[in-house]
Amino acid sequence: MSRILAYCGFHHAAQIALPSSGVSAQPVQLMSSGELGLLWSEVEWPFVPDQMQRSAIEFHQVVRHVFDQTAVIPFRLLSVFDDRQALAGFVAENEERFLVDLERLKGFVQMECVVYPAPGQAQAGSSSGKAYLEKKAVTMRSSEGFAQAVRNAVAHLGHDVRVREGKNGTRIFVLVERGRESDFRQAVSVLPLPEHLSRRISGPWPAAEFLSDQVKAPQILGQKPADQNIAGQKIAGSK
Amino acid sequence: MGHGRRIRLSLMPTDFESVEVLGGEEEVSLLEILDHVLNSGVVIHGSLVISLAGVDLVYLGLNVVLTSVETALTNLQIEEKRRK
Repeated sequence: MSRILAYCGFHHAAQIALPSSGVSAQPVQLMSSGELGLLWSEVEWPFVPDQMQRSAIEFHQVVRHVFDQTAVIPFRLLSVFDDRQALAGFVAENEERFLVDLERLKGFVQMECVVYPAPGQAQAGSSSGKAYLEKKAVTMRSSEGFAQAVRNAVAHLGHDVRVREGKNGTRIFVLVERGRESDFRQAVSVLPLPEHLSRRISGPWPAAEFLSDQVKAPQILGQKPADQNIAGQKIAGSK
Repeated sequence: MGHGRRIRLSLMPTDFESVEVLGGEEEVSLLEILDHVLNSGVVIHGSLVISLAGVDLVYLGLNVVLTSVETALTNLQIEEKRRK
């Protein structure tokens, strides 16, 4: 059974070079509607489990190829359409919303800093329930403090900041002007971090965290919008 | 059914400690790529229906992603050692 796998949407322009092949070496095709371009491939569905990792990397490479040149709105892997007609309907339905977001995010990338318990800290001192909860509270306070420090440190180059608390750490997303990624890294890497925490900085990524809700979970003709909290994560705060 | 899928997706690679234990930038990047392609971006409601129709496949698929990452990392480490 084949399905239509969507990779990403972008503001289509003649000078943007497109990748030739994508997941499972399938040709990457362009569907355009007005100024919106959307890349897709016809793939066998569902993916063969053993090939999932490879598929994920191939998917990433397609998105990355375009993202290196311009702002993109990535789709999630495992999001597929029944057929080309369904994709065309989706594009027509969502063209305007996508273009508004692309215009807003034009010239920006998403940088991330994850703060998590230092190796060995997660289990240490958790011999009792009380000790575990106390340790968790300390970690949370420290993470919140660090997140605030990041906000302050990137205030001059971050156009928006979002913080998400996850089970294993705090993720700080910052919308940064393209080309200023190293400024972000520099600003965040020098911030003092409590001993029991570690940090990881990554990016640039497409600004997926800063998409509008309507674009993140668009409505498909005749269906209800998807659950915003699909990843089971909670938005802890924004700008 | 939607709830079930949510739980499963929350199992995706955000286990930062295990990432750290494995160490190395290549490995972290791999997990981050997986995390981003599966957890960031546009969610198509229609695809949920398709996925839910084969819920075990989705579950199996995501589960295998994690397993495959570990396998891949082991292979990467072996490859690294060989190169040295």
